[in-house]
Amino acid sequence: MIKRRFSGYLFASPWIITFGIFWVYPLFYSLYLAFTDYRLMHHTYKWVGFQNFERLLSDQSFLISLKNTFIFVFGTIPATTIIALILALLIEKNFKGRAIFRSGYFIPSITSMVVIALIFTNLYSRGGYLYLLSEMIGFSTPANGFLLSNKTALFSVMAMDVWMSVGYYMLLFLAGLKSIPKELYEAAEVAGAGFFRKLFSITLPLLKPVALYIIVINTIKSFQVFVEIFVMTKGKYGSSTAVYYIYETGLSRFEFGYASAAAYLLFIIIATFSILQFRLFRRKTT
Amino acid sequence: MKKLKSVLGLFIISLCGIFVLSCGGGSNQVTLQWWHFWTDPVIKPVIDKMITDYETANPGIKIEQTGLTWANGHEKIVIAFSSGTAPDIVELGSDWVAEFSYSDNLTSMTEAVVKDTSQFLGWTPGIYNDSIYAFPWILGTRVLFLNRDLLNQAKFDEKFVPYNWSDFKQACFGVNNLSDDIFGFGSNAAEKHRLYKKVLPFFWALDGRIISENGKYAVFSSDKAYKALEYYKSLHDSCSLVDTQRRLEDAFLDGKIGAIISGDWLLKRIKNENRDINFFTTLIPGPEYPGKSFVGGEYLAVGKTSQHKDEAIKFIKYITNTENQLTFCKANYTANPSSREATEDQFFKDDPNLNVFLRQLELSRMTTPTPKWVYIEDIIETSIEEILFNEAPIAETIYEANAKIQELIKPQ
Amino acid sequence: MKFLRYIVLCLILLIMIFPLLWMFRVSFLPSNSGLSLINLFSMTWTLNTYLDILTAGNMVRYFLNSMLVGVIVTAGNILFCFMAGYAFARYQFIGKNFWFYSVVFVLMIPAHIIIIPLYLLIFKLGMYDSYWALILPFLVNPIGIFLIRQYINTLPASMEEAARIDGAGEFKIVFKIVMPLCKPALAVLAIQVFLTNWNAFLLPFILTSSESVRTLPVGLALYQGHQAIDWPHLMAGSALAVVPVLAAFLFFQRHIVSGITSGAVKQ
Repeated sequence: MIKRRFSGYLFASPWIITFGIFWVYPLFYSLYLAFTDYRLMHHTYKWVGFQNFERLLSDQSFLISLKNTFIFVFGTIPATTIIALILALLIEKNFKGRAIFRSGYFIPSITSMVVIALIFTNLYSRGGYLYLLSEMIGFSTPANGFLLSNKTALFSVMAMDVWMSVGYYMLLFLAGLKSIPKELYEAAEVAGAGFFRKLFSITLPLLKPVALYIIVINTIKSFQVFVEIFVMTKGKYGSSTAVYYIYETGLSRFEFGYASAAAYLLFIIIATFSILQFRLFRRKTT
Repeated sequence: MKKLKSVLGLFIISLCGIFVLSCGGGSNQVTLQWWHFWTDPVIKPVIDKMITDYETANPGIKIEQTGLTWANGHEKIVIAFSSGTAPDIVELGSDWVAEFSYSDNLTSMTEAVVKDTSQFLGWTPGIYNDSIYAFPWILGTRVLFLNRDLLNQAKFDEKFVPYNWSDFKQACFGVNNLSDDIFGFGSNAAEKHRLYKKVLPFFWALDGRIISENGKYAVFSSDKAYKALEYYKSLHDSCSLVDTQRRLEDAFLDGKIGAIISGDWLLKRIKNENRDINFFTTLIPGPEYPGKSFVGGEYLAVGKTSQHKDEAIKFIKYITNTENQLTFCKANYTANPSSREATEDQFFKDDPNLNVFLRQLELSRMTTPTPKWVYIEDIIETSIEEILFNEAPIAETIYEANAKIQELIKPQ
Repeated sequence: MKFLRYIVLCLILLIMIFPLLWMFRVSFLPSNSGLSLINLFSMTWTLNTYLDILTAGNMVRYFLNSMLVGVIVTAGNILFCFMAGYAFARYQFIGKNFWFYSVVFVLMIPAHIIIIPLYLLIFKLGMYDSYWALILPFLVNPIGIFLIRQYINTLPASMEEAARIDGAGEFKIVFKIVMPLCKPALAVLAIQVFLTNWNAFLLPFILTSSESVRTLPVGLALYQGHQAIDWPHLMAGSALAVVPVLAAFLFFQRHIVSGITSGAVKQ
């Protein structure tokens, strides 16, 4: 390691500048805005203290969108994680055509979310393939398609989200499986352990770090669900989420102060969850 | 010293050069920026042609167009006004004019256009505080489209036209009972900016108002709103296909729906796609005799910061003149002129459907001009959604909506 | 047993790729055709939708915008993430730890928090609705820096030291000697940045408004808002957005996979 202050700063400067302008400044600026009544087309704005936060906590639309966000997070993450794990276990071993299955499962997750959401908008509508399929199975389908019903709109978006992202997390699980030393399994087999025994005493415990990583990044991502909602439901039929609400108030109605307060509130919630998850898993793994 | 002089000399020469160049480039040339929503591939060439004609007739004036979409046009205009990048001429939806004249972004054109007021329809939304801020261009109303074949199957005679609510309801139920996949009425799903336009006509037919005449009080919560919503909900619940506007129109054209409310774009579509459908149009029914419809106007306004206000107004007068409006309507196959003279044209009289649109135009209401309209619209739309899709009790919901609107419009 | 396993795997495969197959099939249907089952399996195939979007309308413009922005942002990330990654791996400078923590910090921060101030900032800088707004904030990203730093840490420093003793300049050492060695990591970085940028919606959507700088995902999402939504055309446009991704996946699958997994296994 060499001491070169000048070169060090010179080489790190693109990051330092970007960090300063596009992260530090916005973070503080939105914190400031959260305490003002700044909105577009009004020429003056003033400090209003905690008024925005008080208004948020009594704003039904915000509370509903927050509730929906929680439903989204707690509904999709377990499903995604478990299905991804099952897929990874299914194609872990080497067999003929494995690469095809792996690629096929993975492809949805690198496709544009906008495109996926457009496709599913059609598949979910009355007469769409998924709609017809659920009718065939005997599922009680809402009369106007899945996205135009208060009962199913949010869950349909969630199901699509799980479908789309399992391939991605499957890859992470596969990487985790690969890093488990083969000797452990061999030793277990010698001791006469069956499939389930090996699964529960070797595979799953050793996958914990990967699982933690998956759950943490998926939590941060899922709390911010927006594109699907924007394309598929525009927040109607009880499917508005927190970030969609922030977009609507901040960038469609231009209430910057109020929307910033909502953004900070959500930020605090996400941060709390991430920290809790780390704590919880740390304790369990050690 | 010598060096300094030569540098100075070079500097002065280049300054002169820039000056000459800028004069030569822009001598008497006026460029007007025009933002509008007509990017439709059929209409775009028509507008281009009008502009070329205008530029030839007025050398020295150039019109630069920018296309907006209804999806984010309002946002774009708000941003442009607040950042000082607004164009000279901008097309506005009727319900936005008050918002922008209130925020002092538009040029009053009262003096320049006051003589024209008798020759054009639909001034109300363009007026704010007794000044005219926007010129009416296109007045799109909505009428009732009915499928004659389905009505016949439901044993309504060939001459049947629903004039009032009970006729209409009977017709819808009659058609709805034909079979499982045939519906009486096409009811809009919760789509922003669309749903409330379908419900408000029933409210207006009862002469209901959202805000009192003087703009001070919210008067939405009333027996009129209750009756209108109760009626609409009975159609919605019992005999309707509920879907997005586009898919309702698809279903209507496929002969699956007895009646839908739609605009002249549907006529255009039937014609363009050569749809084989036995349909007719009529005025939207009212409680006892034909009621009111919703008219959404498109207006032309001049930005406050425009450097060429007079030229801009002159161009607005050109684009909205009778001849151009007729060209526009004929190309678009619609009946939505704001010029009185244009409405007299034989073209509209010859076509029974276009004629219905013109008659409906006289029986149409706009939303009350108020700078807070975008918020009020949101409140009304949400309450309608709650009632239709979430089984919220009507009276309480409109009472709450009323309180929210009152909160918005109270003097600050 | 083996047979059963294949059946299950194939069934899952069908579920996973059906929507994309559906998209391609619909894009070859004549416009305004109903989307009933009969139509989808009919023998009607047409290239008209593609001819339409390639000759009229703005889809091609959106596509080129996405390409342009994608290429510039990717190039910027290769250069700047490499530079910063090198600085954090090899140099010792005051506040280095602080700056490195700033990278990790941004990695953990949900981006929604900055959309409003970023929007206002872009406005103040006069970059709203321009290519700058789509490029400048994204020229360097924390994941990239992290990736490159990790990679350089695995390289022996002996070659650089030898070059230094020979009196080579810093720039020459970094760009002529180290950068070529980092090719594998840079490839991973490039493909990842390009794909993320190609699919990005939220920020391009809020930072621009006119069609001339609109990117493909934004164009597709807004097309849907039109009165006359036509599925075959919309799906042909969507295919434009998907095909480059599929191509990239075919050619660079290894890089994509290692880019994704590098974060997880290091934990």
